[in-house]
Amino acid sequence: MDWLFFTEVTLAGLGSGALLSLTALSFVLIYKATRVINLAVGEILMLGGYLFFAFVTAFGLATWLAIPLAIAGGALFGFVVERTLIRPMLGESSISVLMLTVGLGSVLIGATELIWNTDPRALPDFMGQTPVFIGEAYVSRKIAIGFVVSALVIALFLLLFRFWRGGVALRATATDQAAAYSCGINVPAVFSLAWMVACATAAGAGLLVGAIGGISPTMGVFGLSALVVVIIGGLDSVLGALIGGILIGLVEAWAGTFLGGEYKLVTTFSILIAALMIRPYGLFGTVEIERL
Amino acid sequence: MRIATAKETYIADEGLLVTATQRAWMGVLLAMLVLAPFMLNQYWLYLACLVAINVASATGLNILTGYTGLVSLGQAAFMAVGAYTVAFFEGQVGTPFLLNILAAGLVSALVGVLVGIPSLRVKGLYLAIATIAASVILHFVFTHWVSVTGGVRGINVAPARFFGLELASPFALYFVIVPITCLMVLGAANLFRTRIGRAFIAIRDRDISAEVLGIPLLRYKLMSFALSSFYAGVAGGMWAYFFRVVTPESFPFATSIFFLAAVIVGGLGTIIGSVLGAAFMTLVPELLKYVVDWLAPIFPNAGAALSPVRTIVFGALIILFLVFEPHGLAEMVRRARRFFHLWPFRT
Amino acid sequence: MTSLNRRQIMGLAAGAGLASAFPGFTAYAQEKEIVIGGSIPLTGVFAFAGVAIEAGMSDYVKLTNEAGGIAGRKLRLAYEDTAYKVDTSVAVFNKLTTQNDIHLYYGDSTGFAKTINEELNRRGTILMAGASFGSELNNPEKYPFQFMAGPDYVEMFAILLEYIAKAQPGAKLVFVNSDTEFGRDPIEASVKRAKEMGLDVVAQIVTPPTAVDVSTEVLKLRRANPDFTIFHGYVLAPLPEFMSQAKQLGLKTKFMGTFWSMDNSLWANVGAPADGFMGVMPYRYYYDTSPDAPILEKIRKLRPTYQATGYMQGFLTAMLMGEAAKRTLAAGKELNGKTLKAALNSIKDFDTGGIIGVPISVPGNSVPVGRIYQFNAADKQMKPASDWISLKK
Repeated sequence: MDWLFFTEVTLAGLGSGALLSLTALSFVLIYKATRVINLAVGEILMLGGYLFFAFVTAFGLATWLAIPLAIAGGALFGFVVERTLIRPMLGESSISVLMLTVGLGSVLIGATELIWNTDPRALPDFMGQTPVFIGEAYVSRKIAIGFVVSALVIALFLLLFRFWRGGVALRATATDQAAAYSCGINVPAVFSLAWMVACATAAGAGLLVGAIGGISPTMGVFGLSALVVVIIGGLDSVLGALIGGILIGLVEAWAGTFLGGEYKLVTTFSILIAALMIRPYGLFGTVEIERL
Repeated sequence: MRIATAKETYIADEGLLVTATQRAWMGVLLAMLVLAPFMLNQYWLYLACLVAINVASATGLNILTGYTGLVSLGQAAFMAVGAYTVAFFEGQVGTPFLLNILAAGLVSALVGVLVGIPSLRVKGLYLAIATIAASVILHFVFTHWVSVTGGVRGINVAPARFFGLELASPFALYFVIVPITCLMVLGAANLFRTRIGRAFIAIRDRDISAEVLGIPLLRYKLMSFALSSFYAGVAGGMWAYFFRVVTPESFPFATSIFFLAAVIVGGLGTIIGSVLGAAFMTLVPELLKYVVDWLAPIFPNAGAALSPVRTIVFGALIILFLVFEPHGLAEMVRRARRFFHLWPFRT
Repeated sequence: MTSLNRRQIMGLAAGAGLASAFPGFTAYAQEKEIVIGGSIPLTGVFAFAGVAIEAGMSDYVKLTNEAGGIAGRKLRLAYEDTAYKVDTSVAVFNKLTTQNDIHLYYGDSTGFAKTINEELNRRGTILMAGASFGSELNNPEKYPFQFMAGPDYVEMFAILLEYIAKAQPGAKLVFVNSDTEFGRDPIEASVKRAKEMGLDVVAQIVTPPTAVDVSTEVLKLRRANPDFTIFHGYVLAPLPEFMSQAKQLGLKTKFMGTFWSMDNSLWANVGAPADGFMGVMPYRYYYDTSPDAPILEKIRKLRPTYQATGYMQGFLTAMLMGEAAKRTLAAGKELNGKTLKAALNSIKDFDTGGIIGVPISVPGNSVPVGRIYQFNAADKQMKPASDWISLKK
């Protein structure tokens, strides 16, 4: 066994796992607040990537300006979607809202193809090229940056949920909407906030993913991997997203290296089924108790 | 409600076609289905067959999702199982094609039961994702079980033969596909006049209450999965004879989404909904092509530039129906019928 | 109880069906026309190529018609978008062939070609080509009415291997492919061929189709430390990331690709990390100003901006179709699959006007010619790295 190789693979797995966690966070925020699985997260990722691309190439903005603008674009998109599409669907069955987001994803893909056409593109480099070495082990610079950014963002969210008023309001809404209402929490505002923050997170994750793999109208499939993460971690658990992401990242890296690339997907999805059989609401998800 | 249709017996109340007018219209529809192949050209016959295949699969999905309330995003994978079964039996066993199609249904049903097993513990959206996982695993099996599935290259399927007659053109296959689909739709309509069908509905409305009422949940949920994937399998089997090549990429994940969208646009939990939804969602992209053709003189590049519009329209249709007509096309039909029943009075 | 809606729908469908039956008659009236049908992916994952293919084919049609058509007949391209889905492609095929008198057809994917070839064999009236260079289709016995305007994927690998064997005999190779039909196509045959040529395939890396992050694959590559790495089954992603990480690690390996990942504008956007990327390309690039390429001059006049590689593929495919039709009509035969294919196979040492730098022949279903190009980041252009390589059977 080549331990250096194993360490490098593991580090790479941790890095891509962090990216998955970040994307998963977007699922969790939205689900926590509004009980909606947003299958359009992958497409919002794509939107973030393309917005950045447009700001830099078409408008000629500097990178440091384009990054926050792309993330803000994601937030704006989240706000609009929540107000125009999600709110009218309050009280509809969860499958209806799920399909609504599928439709939304399709519209986004079509619009992207219409505006930027279908060529795959590479994002302008904004991370530099010098490799990172931890001890002797090599880590790709982009993956390392992705890991640090994701870790910081997730830590920030954990703190916000604990100490910030808005974060507490979101948790209260997640626990019991009616009770939150009667405590004077502005529940609709919480919905808006959750969608904005979640879509901004997704757009930011899109920047990182796009910087690594390039952008194309089909890059939204990355959202599917992140979906596996949230299901394993539990749909309404930030901690679950973190741990699930790292877990899936590691499993994918190990499976890809030691079994072969074609085993990556099947291994993660098998773990998904196994995890669901043992814990139907994910590892850290809230168990819903049904009463008559 | 139409006047003068008082029913005197329970049997009459349960009837599928209650009034003479209904029977007459059904007769007209059947006559048109019989006459269609002699009136339509090959392109429209091709579409008619495709619509029929999709109707069969959508009806199956509606049994599972619309009537039993179990969301599945694995319908395409079940169709693939059916298609591979047909390809295997046709190529390596050589049994008659009707038997192969039946086998396709049965094998798919078996796989459906396996996939359905988590459904007792796993519910709602978690279950939907579990069916995605199942389809990924099935896809892996299709690509790697080379001796049976032919690996990534897939299998070519010989045309169906019926007493030495080769069924290869859409015209010939129409007489296989459309009757099978009609039978399956009729079967589904009848299902909900039986205990099993009603048990499904009870589970959808509140599964715990259903259990209290004496419906064994596991057995009925698995039965629903089995039925639904039987429909998908038969549809996939017909698909295999229709396209005559099956590869792992024949049934992508997008197909599962397509069927769920078709069922929702048509109307969850209605038979006519699955028929209308599947037909509508299959034909809209084709009709959009005509729109593009009309626009071509105005925008010379319409063909190339307006093509992404189809992706947008697919998504927009789902969104618009969910927001403005959550009960789907079936509800629109119902409203139209009421309008004519009550005319000249307004509803 | 009435179901007027259903009646209306059926009525509409029937009416539309009848209406669309009529163009069949109108096509009859315009006897002096050769129609090239096309299932072209203008949307979906392959759209970047489909759009270019369509442009290339319609330009060939335009140029030919301006020059008086083929044996006095005008060419016409009748195509529709398929979104790169097999069932839509088949629908388009059925629609176009009922509405037009079609003897030449362009199909989009390997799956479609496999599906429709049975129908072609049954009809025997159509010669088909397409965007697929699948090696399975390069079999004149099984697919008698099919051809491709370039080498198939195995032949592309063979051209690369020939180049490598000359440049560095006994070199160590790694094959990287995506886990799709497209990606797996040439791998098995090429591993064998490499061995026969004395080259050493030290590792094969497969990436899942959704792969974004390739760091673990790069680590594998580093352990294998090959002289050449050949990618297949990709368009762009994840190649740039592969290459930039390998450069960060100081790997000496040279990266190579096959036709569909050779587009110049894609790599021009990638910039510096792409420097030195090589690959096999059956056609000249848009900007090639070689004196023996008069047709590229015409193309540049017709379209002032860069045209993708798919453009050349579409253009040459249409050209070969046109040539086959011309030879068939010149021999006084009617247009059908058999005569067209025979005419196509009679093409020997044919001058493509410079799209391909050497005279070509079409012995079977493919044109086994190609050239190695290398990307130069400073000029943002693919530059020829070898002479034209013609494979001998």
